Amino acid sequence: MTPPPPAEAVAADRVGTVPVPGDSKINRDLLSVLDAPTFKYFALLGLAIVGVLQAVFSLGYQTYHGLGVAGYSHPIFWGVYIVTFVFWVGIAHAGTLISAILYLFRAKWRNAINRGAEAMTVFAVVTAALFPLIHIGRIWKFYFMVPYPNQRGLWVNFKSPLVWDLFAINTYMTISIVFFFVGLIPDIAIARDRSTGWRKALYTVLSLGWQGTSRQWKAHNRTVLHLSGLATPLVLSVHSVVSWDFAVSIVPGWHATIFAPYFVAGAIFSGFAMVLTVMIPVRRIFGLEEYLTDYHFENMSRFILLTSCIVGYAYGIEYFIAWYSGVEAERTSFFMRAFGPYWISTWIMISCNGIFPQLLWFKKLRTHLPFLFVLSLLINIGMWFERYVIIITSLSREFEPAVWGLYIPRGWELSILVGSFCWFSMFFLIFLKVFPVVAIAEVKELAIHDKAHGGAH
Amino acid sequence: MPLLVGVFDTPGPVREVADKLHGRGFGDMEIYSPAPFPELDDAIDKKPSRVRLFTLIGGLTGVTLGFAMQIWMALDWPLNIGGKPMASIPAYVVIGFELTILLGGLLTFLGLLAVGRLPRVKLDPAYSVRFSGEEIGIAVSCTDRDVAEIESLMRDAEAKEVTLVEA
Repeated sequence: MTPPPPAEAVAADRVGTVPVPGDSKINRDLLSVLDAPTFKYFALLGLAIVGVLQAVFSLGYQTYHGLGVAGYSHPIFWGVYIVTFVFWVGIAHAGTLISAILYLFRAKWRNAINRGAEAMTVFAVVTAALFPLIHIGRIWKFYFMVPYPNQRGLWVNFKSPLVWDLFAINTYMTISIVFFFVGLIPDIAIARDRSTGWRKALYTVLSLGWQGTSRQWKAHNRTVLHLSGLATPLVLSVHSVVSWDFAVSIVPGWHATIFAPYFVAGAIFSGFAMVLTVMIPVRRIFGLEEYLTDYHFENMSRFILLTSCIVGYAYGIEYFIAWYSGVEAERTSFFMRAFGPYWISTWIMISCNGIFPQLLWFKKLRTHLPFLFVLSLLINIGMWFERYVIIITSLSREFEPAVWGLYIPRGWELSILVGSFCWFSMFFLIFLKVFPVVAIAEVKELAIHDKAHGGAH
Repeated sequence: MPLLVGVFDTPGPVREVADKLHGRGFGDMEIYSPAPFPELDDAIDKKPSRVRLFTLIGGLTGVTLGFAMQIWMALDWPLNIGGKPMASIPAYVVIGFELTILLGGLLTFLGLLAVGRLPRVKLDPAYSVRFSGEEIGIAVSCTDRDVAEIESLMRDAEAKEVTLVEA
């Protein structure tokens, strides 16, 4: 009986994250994503960083000269920034839905996609959280939202949905990051055991000394279960609260009780579309076909189809209620949506979100990845325009025709909008090379389980 | 004290070994696995995980703090609006709920650290990179005269390998 070499000694003769023979195939496959980046990767990352920098410049210009440069004018003072804020908060919903709700439903297929989706959630909510600050123009005044008495000792108004939103978004951001990190700990430990240099140092710190003892796994299971239980109502509440920013006002087109479920369905819809947009290239580039199978994509397509139907229904019922209510302002507002100056955004929204996804009724298309990729891009565009339609058209056609007006986004806003996509991509690209994009321990759980039971289920 | 490590491919036999060792009065052992398995969940610690207590305390603190903060702040600068109650509880439900989740979640994470005894600086001598591969290990501390008995017990359960880490 000879003692096995201690952990450090074995790991020391490994270079970077290059796998050694005899190691688990799952480890080798999934850690190979972390291999030294290619030139193309750096080119993409560089492009993303340039995109962020041009947006930082625009933001600086806008901050110096004031919000006037952003095309805001009477009566529309919620423009592209709020549209983009709602868009990114929506994107952030798929990750927690996959990791929390599908976990509670014991939908095992989530195991391969949950990490990517969770990472996407964290980066999307970090992107979204910037926009209220950009939107207020005087960024340094953001603390007015925080419960903090002003010079006369008056506190914030807790009856305002905007204050609710601050709490909802920050809670969601914190809990998504905790959820993401808890899931990562065991995988970071796997990477720690197989790396050297700066990676070893980073992973050693972040793995917190994880060894996968039965006590640790037991606590980990419990933690994931409880976080799922907490995150499930949270994910449904966040977009509800965002929808109340609108629904609690009396603006025609906003003042509707259907808003909370309508927004939540839309958020899940757009979130899944973004998971497809991100994961289809990842699977292709890193050759992860064995782990991210057609089965996963088909299941996500089904979710998209379901939520597309809910969103399409909501579009229809909005028009019905506007007509049925008999309220002149409501009727006009909705008529102007479809046939007024913003008709093009409305028809983009209806076709991209309500009509095109209906093609997913065909099984062949649900597993046809190039089709899914194109569809997911269309849905992303459609969902951005959905928020544009809701926010801009409603504000432009309120009660008094005398105060009707038009808002046309200017270059500064579009530059910051493009910058937000680059900001998101930059984080995701860095994530791809630092942490495993597929949850290794969870994939292994199924693999070892199959091995123990002869692969039969 | 000698430390024996048995290496297995599947969780079932590990559970068997752990139960037998418990039956024979060996208490000082640890199981290392690359993934969570229901078989191993209560192999060593039979009691339900105490993480639940952390979540409960966090959630209750959050909901209390959330409502207390809003009510206190509303009363600290009373602003009478049409004779409505100063503190409007229904409108405070949202932030009360968010803080319940926030503190519940953060304390659950603290629970993971406390119950899982993390973070730790040094890894156990019995830990090996194999256990973050696809193998499962069970480490037992025993006296010299028990080494042979435990080794044969592990081999009977079809251990791939049994090694003595510390003599």
